[in-house]
Amino acid sequence: MPSGKTLSVIWKRVKSFFTFWKDFLVGDSPVLALGVVIILFVAYLLRGSAVLAPVSIIILVLVLITFAVWQKTKARRR
Amino acid sequence: MIDQSAVLLFITVALASAVEATEALTIILAAGITRGWRSTFEGALLAIACLGVIVGIAGTALIQYVPLYALRIVVGTLLLIFGLQWLTKAILRQTGFKAPHDERDIYDKQVATLSKEKGILRGQRDSLAFAISFKGVLLEGMEVIMIVISFGLANGSQNQLGTAALAALAAVAVMTAIGAVVAKPLTKVPENYMKLGVGNLLTVFGLFWMGEGVGVQWPLGDIFLLVLLAIIFLATLGLIAYFKRVYESLTEIEL
Repeated sequence: MPSGKTLSVIWKRVKSFFTFWKDFLVGDSPVLALGVVIILFVAYLLRGSAVLAPVSIIILVLVLITFAVWQKTKARRR
Repeated sequence: MIDQSAVLLFITVALASAVEATEALTIILAAGITRGWRSTFEGALLAIACLGVIVGIAGTALIQYVPLYALRIVVGTLLLIFGLQWLTKAILRQTGFKAPHDERDIYDKQVATLSKEKGILRGQRDSLAFAISFKGVLLEGMEVIMIVISFGLANGSQNQLGTAALAALAAVAVMTAIGAVVAKPLTKVPENYMKLGVGNLLTVFGLFWMGEGVGVQWPLGDIFLLVLLAIIFLATLGLIAYFKRVYESLTEIEL
């Protein structure tokens, strides 16, 4: 059975491993990561439609980028 | 006949790699000039070796064991997230809401931090220079290999992995050669514009592959990449123009 100290070291390593990947993939814009997952889901739902699927996901990407920029400028506009 | 998507792929990977190489070079120069070159080079070389192993293992494993549609979903999703992150930051920089990326400023800060640390005995490894260089090259390089693997595999062709790797190597070699000659941060590289371009391209490829992965039928096939590029680029210009006006009106109010 590993000691408390060993467990604490392992926990720290696991935590820093996941923190690294979270910073790497999500960065400082969780809204973008969340938005992309939603777009993926919408694309999956509409995949059968030749027109609706491409048009919807392009519009969603444009909305997402606009929202992300708007959100980042919010602090300055207040 | 030249494959348009392969040309676009080469340009995207080369531009993204050049940006990351410029950033890694700033870290290496700061560590090398303030702490000595030996440990700095050792750190950088070890990081490059680690990246090579990651590319070899991940690239081979992914192409052999993961189905193409799953690769496209994962790769497309990641590229879209990265692309939108780059694009958001680039738009904020172009409009004034975020300070432009300045290699000279980053270099000066690194040099100031590294100079404060105690000196080392000759002939011994400088653990700080080694660690800074290793970490810098590994982190910047991770983005490059993520892009190389993504672009190389998402088309389902071994040739594309070669094209992507070649583009990355060419860009890193050119930036390293320039860095070695000028021996100072590459402030003349139009990094902010390059990031804007790469953000557009990553977003376009990410959206295209993510869509293909889940089964969306893009009209015109691969040629639609150019249509997507035009749409995203025009939208980016529109956002820059709009938020620039917002920034200017805020600045006027503050004055």
